Amino acid sequence: MSDILQQSARDPFWFRDCFLMRMPIGRKASNLRELLQILREASEDVLYYHIFQSRLALTDPEIEYPNDFALWAANALQDTKLAEKLSSFDPFEYGSMSAVREAVLEILEEYLWDMPYVPWARPGFELYLCQAQTAVIQSPTPSYTLAEFCQGLQRVGLDSIYYHFFEAPWRLGVSKVDDFSFWIEYNFDLPRLVKDIRQIDVYFYSLPELRATLLALINEHMGVYCERTA
Amino acid sequence: MNGLHDYTPIVGQEVIEQLQRLAERLTRRRFVHINSTRTGGGVAEILSRAVPLLNQLGLETTWEVIIGDPEFFEITKAMHNGLQGDRVRFTPRMMEHYREINRENAKRFDWEADFVLVHDPQPAALIEHLRPRAPKWVWRCHIDASRPQRHVWKFLREYVIRYDASVFSMSSFAQNLPHPQYLIHPSIDPLSDKNRDLTAGEVQAVMDRLGIRKDRPIILQVSRFDSFKDPMGVIQAFKMVRRHTSCQLLLVGGEATDDPEGPEIFARVKEAAAGDPDITILLLPPDSHYEVNALQRAADVIVQKSVREGFGLTVTEAMWKGKPVIGGAVGGIVLQIRDYHTGFLVHSPEGCAFRIRYLLHRPEMARRMGKLAREFVRRHFLITRHIRDYLTLMLFIDNPGSRFIEL
Repeated sequence: MSDILQQSARDPFWFRDCFLMRMPIGRKASNLRELLQILREASEDVLYYHIFQSRLALTDPEIEYPNDFALWAANALQDTKLAEKLSSFDPFEYGSMSAVREAVLEILEEYLWDMPYVPWARPGFELYLCQAQTAVIQSPTPSYTLAEFCQGLQRVGLDSIYYHFFEAPWRLGVSKVDDFSFWIEYNFDLPRLVKDIRQIDVYFYSLPELRATLLALINEHMGVYCERTA
Repeated sequence: MNGLHDYTPIVGQEVIEQLQRLAERLTRRRFVHINSTRTGGGVAEILSRAVPLLNQLGLETTWEVIIGDPEFFEITKAMHNGLQGDRVRFTPRMMEHYREINRENAKRFDWEADFVLVHDPQPAALIEHLRPRAPKWVWRCHIDASRPQRHVWKFLREYVIRYDASVFSMSSFAQNLPHPQYLIHPSIDPLSDKNRDLTAGEVQAVMDRLGIRKDRPIILQVSRFDSFKDPMGVIQAFKMVRRHTSCQLLLVGGEATDDPEGPEIFARVKEAAAGDPDITILLLPPDSHYEVNALQRAADVIVQKSVREGFGLTVTEAMWKGKPVIGGAVGGIVLQIRDYHTGFLVHSPEGCAFRIRYLLHRPEMARRMGKLAREFVRRHFLITRHIRDYLTLMLFIDNPGSRFIEL
């Protein structure tokens, strides 16, 4: 099986690093109704930032609350029930950001409908809404083989893991497909590996964990430590 | 002066290559920074390191400083305090003098540029006279402007809206403005005299020279003597700690030429510490970076108990030296310190005292936090990341409306 590690791909894989220029929009939500209003009016980039791009925020994402809205509900509104609802919603199930927006609005509206009062954030815990512009830098050297790919995977920054896992479904236009499994599927006859990679629920992994899980899966399928064989 | 490649062992080759790739797109572009002091304070410190590095990357970068009389700096200090939320007197006469000094400075300048980055309120009004000198103007606000006094912000906003973009240190500082707003966190230079590694002998020599004996644990706050840095609160916290544990407090401050309030606060602090053999107050010249470095390395616990803070560079400096930092839970400090992980965030002198006691009695925990703190700074708060943000900012401002740039 390890021969396939040295097999050359038809198209090489180019790792890309990305970093964000964060752009506050100058609006804040002090309570749940304000958040609802802002999310109705703001651009989809704002939702995209708080649901996906916040993965690249300075602090490690809280696994329990995988997007900024859930985290804010838990920490600022101290409303665990709402935080659970916002956590369990899966943005990758929707085909567009406008559908994601509708889904978030629906959760918030339904929640507010039954509330006898509007939940307020603790003072100092208001949610400041942002969006971001993204700069992407392609690595200077491509990976032609799986062995080179594994070495690259170990070397690249966490931003790159984010880019290839989280941004890919939107770029490729295919739900739950990442750049890594897409490349492997197209270049090598490894359908089980491809399937296993696509079954990683990225929403519950930090970026270092995602990198380790992906390497472990490739090693498991190859039967050797692929990153040491290039 | 350090070259770009001297940073490779610290940040990695990939980071340096990223900077070069970004800069390739901006070669020979003229980039002018303008602020109000060449020495003292975080802005001047960042610029003194960033400007040469930007030049090494191929951008023609210069740093201009506006000149003002003492009255101008009194006025801009009032503006600064007002933007940070203090009730201040800001009269039409003060506004006129502010405009007048900006007008005079505008006459002195003869540069032309592609990008201008104007730092803080002092030179913000230059745009009124110099707008045609550069196609892109960006206003950089280093202040915690989360709750500004309305009359001060209303006055300043009239100038800020003429810029093409503005940059803040935290999203909570951003304002309602008609142009794009960006977030850039300030940074430190790991190779500057303030932050480079020192030997134990070098540290000891500075301690000897300054007459500080390390015969009991040292608690240190380094900051300007400014009411927002709460030096009185630090003394209060220290006195609470000393009831339980023998230790000493070092309050170390520099002077900035654009801060007329400093001497007054310094006198108050001196009075509060008078006759206390465990409190040492040092007023160091603004270029005492090497001494501050040594003191931070000699300290057991470092405090930055600010009650308002744009971004506490001293917090990052201390973290880079592997020290646990106790910071006021305000402004940028909440982003710099991850509570219970790389340090502690506190809300009162009592909270500060409690955490100091904890760290003095749990040295192994202090070491662990310090180690995590250093790594956190390496990843997020070094000058290379700051330069990357400047370059990316210019690329995006050059391509308004684009969400995405691929290099």
